[in-house]
Amino acid sequence: MLGLPEKIRIEVDYEKCGERGKVDPRECCRCLRVCDPAVLIMHETLSVEQDPIDPQYWRITPVWNSLCTKCMKCVEVCPEGAIRVF
Amino acid sequence: MCDWCTKHGAGKRWYMNARNYSNELADELRAKEYLSEQWTNFEQVYIRKIMGISSVDLGYKLKLPIIGRVLRWQAERMIHSESKNRNPRRADGHFGQVIPLEEAKIILGNLAAEPIIENYCMCRWMQRGIKERCCINFGVLSTVIEKLPRFIPENNTARISREEAMERIEEHNRRGYVASVWFQPVPYINAICSCENPECGGLRLRQDFGLHTVYKSEYVVRVDADNCQACGMCVHKCQFGAIRLVPSLGRAVVDPRRCWGCGVCRHSCAHDALNLVPREEVPVARGRF
Ligand code: SF4
Ligand code: SF4
Ligand code: SF4
Ligand code: SF4
Ligand code: SF4
Repeated sequence: MLGLPEKIRIEVDYEKCGERGKVDPRECCRCLRVCDPAVLIMHETLSVEQDPIDPQYWRITPVWNSLCTKCMKCVEVCPEGAIRVF
Repeated sequence: MCDWCTKHGAGKRWYMNARNYSNELADELRAKEYLSEQWTNFEQVYIRKIMGISSVDLGYKLKLPIIGRVLRWQAERMIHSESKNRNPRRADGHFGQVIPLEEAKIILGNLAAEPIIENYCMCRWMQRGIKERCCINFGVLSTVIEKLPRFIPENNTARISREEAMERIEEHNRRGYVASVWFQPVPYINAICSCENPECGGLRLRQDFGLHTVYKSEYVVRVDADNCQACGMCVHKCQFGAIRLVPSLGRAVVDPRRCWGCGVCRHSCAHDALNLVPREEVPVARGRF
């Protein structure tokens, strides 16, 4: 893939944390706080792609992936093993 | 003075023009509707797709050949939009500038429209899961945010007096938070924030991706070499890595290209060695807002 920038992949398993999981990220926030470059964002879910928003459910989305240092601290700290970085 | 001063400053800096704070202007711009839409949907601003593209992994998207450049051009246009049909959900026409404590106090003491409230910072909540009550909003925006319980401390009214607002901004600034004043939507002004880098979404987009969501202040800091005692306290305060201690020289040194002119480092100096000077007087910083 010549010419394309490197892509850092971070995945959050919403079966473990988020609208379908047993953890509400608002009660945990550990991954948000261990990440030096603040790569992850916590937000209300958007049910059915965009509108309407569903304010009952919150989830974590990696947004600033290009700044991730791959330190793996978020992976280690997550009590649910919900995060993968690769 | 930047382009926005020329356009909206009436001969002064944009944020010193009283008209930009007025209820008449808010009505003219239909700011109440815009702000209700924007703040009800605030946390989705990075996730929501706009013309098929969200901010998720923006860093990657901006580096893509061609697409990256189009995206940057489009983002800058949105940030500074003055068009009639601005989209509040993507925060069109929402940007700010860093200001030193002295100017923040002048604004809160004289220009800000009442009511004034202090609510939870949304950026720190989204980025760190921390509820910190440090966003000072005023005018129509206050009445909008007051209706959204997640921004308001429990069992509490968020309203504060002018005097309290001035005290609070001083506390935040001394703590090391950078003061910034915001257009939303341009040219209506209704917020003074106390930010950290990169927790603040505006600072993040500017500092890490070069988008002009926040402009640097009208000043840069200068070290008085005679007064400096090389204690290094100022270095810890700077959110931007613009000041460092040079042990061999026995004093602190500022890089004016990195300095945002927030003035926060001054609070840590017990020797009166740090002063703000107008950005225009420093050739490498001139015009680099
Ligand atoms: S690997 Fe490290 S830098 Fe990357 S998201 Fe996780 S904590 Fe942040
Ligand atoms: S650390 Fe894991 S469980 Fe906790 S908020 Fe982050 S993803 Fe959810
Ligand atoms: S702009 Fe600054 S104070 Fe306002 S919400 Fe963002 S970080 Fe908080
Ligand atoms: S060196 Fe500049 S950017 Fe850093 S704290 Fe001082 S004034 Fe602010
Ligand atoms: S805090 Fe003041 S005295 Fe100490 S290193 Fe900085 S400028 Fe010098």
